[in-house]
Parts: sequence; C-alpha cells; structure tokens
Amino acid sequence: MEESLTKTDELIRVRAALLNILEDTDELRRLAVDEKNKTMAIIENLTDGVILLNKKNQVEIISPPALDFLGVKKNEIIGKHLVDFLQKEEFSQAKEALIDENEKRIKSVYKKEVQTKEGLYMEITSVLLKDEIEEKGFLIVIHDITKDRLVEKMKTEFVSIAAHQLRTPLSAIKWTVGMILDGDIGEINEEQRELLEKTYISNERMIHLVNDLLNVTRIEEGRLLYNQEWGQLESLTEDVLNNFQETLKMKNIFLDFEKPKGLPSVKFDKEKMGLVLQNLIENAIKYTQNGGKIKISLEKDEKSVIFKIKDSGVGIPKNQQERIFTKFFRGENVIKMETEGTGLGLYTTKNIVNAHKGEIWFESSENEGTTFYFTVPIMKNN
Amino acid sequence: MMKKILLVEDDKFLRELMTKKLFSMEYDVVSAVDGESGLAMIKESKPDLVLLDLILPGINGFEVLERAKKDPETASIPIIILSNLGQKEDIDKGISLGAADFLVKAHFTPQEITNKLKIILG
Repeated sequence: MEESLTKTDELIRVRAALLNILEDTDELRRLAVDEKNKTMAIIENLTDGVILLNKKNQVEIISPPALDFLGVKKNEIIGKHLVDFLQKEEFSQAKEALIDENEKRIKSVYKKEVQTKEGLYMEITSVLLKDEIEEKGFLIVIHDITKDRLVEKMKTEFVSIAAHQLRTPLSAIKWTVGMILDGDIGEINEEQRELLEKTYISNERMIHLVNDLLNVTRIEEGRLLYNQEWGQLESLTEDVLNNFQETLKMKNIFLDFEKPKGLPSVKFDKEKMGLVLQNLIENAIKYTQNGGKIKISLEKDEKSVIFKIKDSGVGIPKNQQERIFTKFFRGENVIKMETEGTGLGLYTTKNIVNAHKGEIWFESSENEGTTFYFTVPIMKNN
Repeated sequence: MMKKILLVEDDKFLRELMTKKLFSMEYDVVSAVDGESGLAMIKESKPDLVLLDLILPGINGFEVLERAKKDPETASIPIIILSNLGQKEDIDKGISLGAADFLVKAHFTPQEITNKLKIILG
C-alpha cells in the first residue's frame, strides 16, 4: 500500500516536471518562431534581392526582388538547385558571374556587374557562410544599380557635351588673340603684346583643361583605347621627348635617356600611350627645380617592358601619396609652387596604363625626388 | 589668279575671323553657314579648297564631305576639316572619307591654319 502511494507521488512529480519542460520548450519554440518571423520580415522587405542557399546549393530563402530578378514564383524555386536553375540562356551573365564552371557550384563573388535581359544593371555579391566545422551554404545579394549607372552616364555625357561646347568660344579667343599677335589687325605696342601673350597662355591652359576633361569622360565611358598597334615604346618616348627639348633647355635640366637595345615590340594605342609619356615627362620637368636632373630608362623582364622616370624634384608628401592617382588631386607642395595643373594628368595616365593591362607605381620622398614606373605587358606576337 | 576658298562654318564670329584672315592673305572667300548650302556652293562656285566644319545644322560635315567626294564634278576639290571634334575615330573617319587634312580649331591659330592651306594649294 505504502509502496503504491510513493509510486503515485513519484508519478505526480514526473508529470509536473514534464509539464515544466513542455512549457519551456513551447516558450522556446515561440521565441524561435518570433525570431524567424523577424528575420523573414527583414529579408522580405529589403530593397536588395536576397537568396540563401543551403550547403547543397538549394534555395532555402528568397526575397521578392530576387524572385523578380530570376523571373520566377517562390514555389517554383524553393528547394531547387540554383546551379541547375541558372543554366537557362537568359541567365548567361548571372551564370558566368556566380558559377564556378569547373566545379559546377556557386562561388564567392564581390560586387560583380550583370546585365539582365531587360537591360537593367545588377551588382551581385555572394558570400560563403561557414563556421569552424563546415560550410553552411551561400548568401547571395542582388543590388540594382541601373539608376546609378544612368546618372553616371548622364554626368559623363554632360561633361563631354560641355567640353565640346567650350571649345568653340575658346577657339574664338585663340583665333582673335592669335591674329592680333600675328599683326593681322594692325600694329600693337609692347605693353599690349605682353598682355595679349598672357591672355593667349591663359586660354591655352583652358583648352588643355577641356582636353583633359574629354579624356576623363572617355575613361568613364569605358572607351579609352581606340586603336592598338605593335610598336617600340622607346621610339614613342623619343618622339614625345622632342617636344620638351626647349623647356628642358629653358629650365637647364639635364635629361638622361637610357634605352637598351633589343626591347621587344609591345601593343599600344599610340595616341593614348603618348599621353602617358607626355604626362609623366611633363610632371617630372614641372616639379623639378631649375638645374635639376631627370633620368628616363627602359627595361624588360619576362612579362613586360618597364618604363622608369626618375627626377630630382620636389617629391610627393608622404601623407598624400595614397591619393596621387585620384581625379582632381594635386599635392599641397605643388599647389604652393603655383605651377599649372588640372589634377587630371595622373588619373588619366593610370587609367590608360591599366587599360593596356599594365601597372603604374612610384617611389617618392619630399625634396629628394620621385620615380614613376609603368609597365606594358609583352604579348605573344599573334 | 586669286585662289577661291569656301568656308563652311556655322559660328558667325569664327566665320568672320577666318574670312578676315583669308582676305588678308589675298584669297577670294565665299562662305556657307550649314551643310546643305555648303554642298550646293561646292558645286556652284567650284572653290580651289574647302574649309569644312563638322557639327553643322542640317546635314553634318561628314555627309557634306562624303557627297562632295562621290560627285565626280567636285571630287578633286581638296577639303580640310576644321572642327572641334577631334577624337581619333573622328579623324580617321574624316581622312577615310577623303579629307586632305583634319584640324582641331582649338589647336591651331588662323596663321597656322593658312600655313596648312598654303601647302595643300601648292
């Protein structure tokens, strides 16, 4: 009797304990559902498209903008393999961006640009999710950049049109002052000549700036290189150097040009590469004091021809070296020197070098000088 | 005999300046303000040389050049493009259509332009 009483007691206690556990579990479950709802609400309402893949690359979560991007309904894609899904012709660009062709699986990418068949521009980022033990899947984010691209394009077009429009009045000034200076309108006195010569130089600076701006817009339109032909970098350097003989003499700068024999031909856009050389040589001369030294040399390694220009000039302040290739940037020390410059030269230069798949870099210390290097890759001759 | 130059230029002031310069060099100058009349004048007045702008109202300079070069009556008249376009593809297009030279306005003074012109006129 006593025994059965203790058993009943025990059963009651176990029941109470079980109920407790059940209640806790229920509470936790509710919390988990809450959390899931919150997470889903965030994902569903993001303006960017989001796709979450499990470790088998199957679609687990997908948000409305991502559904729009793929042009599917939710029930058509949940649980499907994304790799299989992207095999359709219309996703060829997304496929190329996201799928590792060799292994037929999703790969990590960062801000890769893709154009949809409707002509929209999307930026795709895909992140591998993993903990210490295993890979959990991928998070893919699709960001619509169509509007940004459009604004960028309008801005570039605006600058291009403005620059062309500016050239007409600048030509008028150049022609007028040029004719007066050439004596076509009659005699002028020394004082008038002096002022007009300064006017002419100011106007030339403006024409130069407009030319630089036009080059920049071409960089931004991505159609910088026009016609790449085989040629010798050293003979182009010689051609460009010829334009500077007078300036070098005027500033009494000693220029040494060292070129080894047997440099290979490389492929470049002659006009644009000429601009690179012109910018680098012009900078070296401009920022080197009278009586200074400049040394230009050309070398090659197995991969590229390397151009090197070393000056004994004012140098680039250490804290500004990072920004040297950005648009409109000019060093503080050279602004104080009141030298001319638009801040577009090295930006343009770097973009031209990079468009040729070359690299550009420099070493510089203030008041000692600067050395700029750039490379043009050697390609197989066919 | 005085050589005759046809100037096709839509900007009034540039046209005046160039006309003045050409007169001072003792050329006979006629001018047109758009592509249509430019083309007509190439045919009618048979100039010894044409200075041709590219961005013109109506038919543009490239078209004027192309048509003038296709017409056997006018094909031999040298045409110098004088424009503010000047990217490599514009220049190549102009030369391949048969222009004798391509000058960017903002890069030459009237004196330099007439020097070029003198060379072509021989």
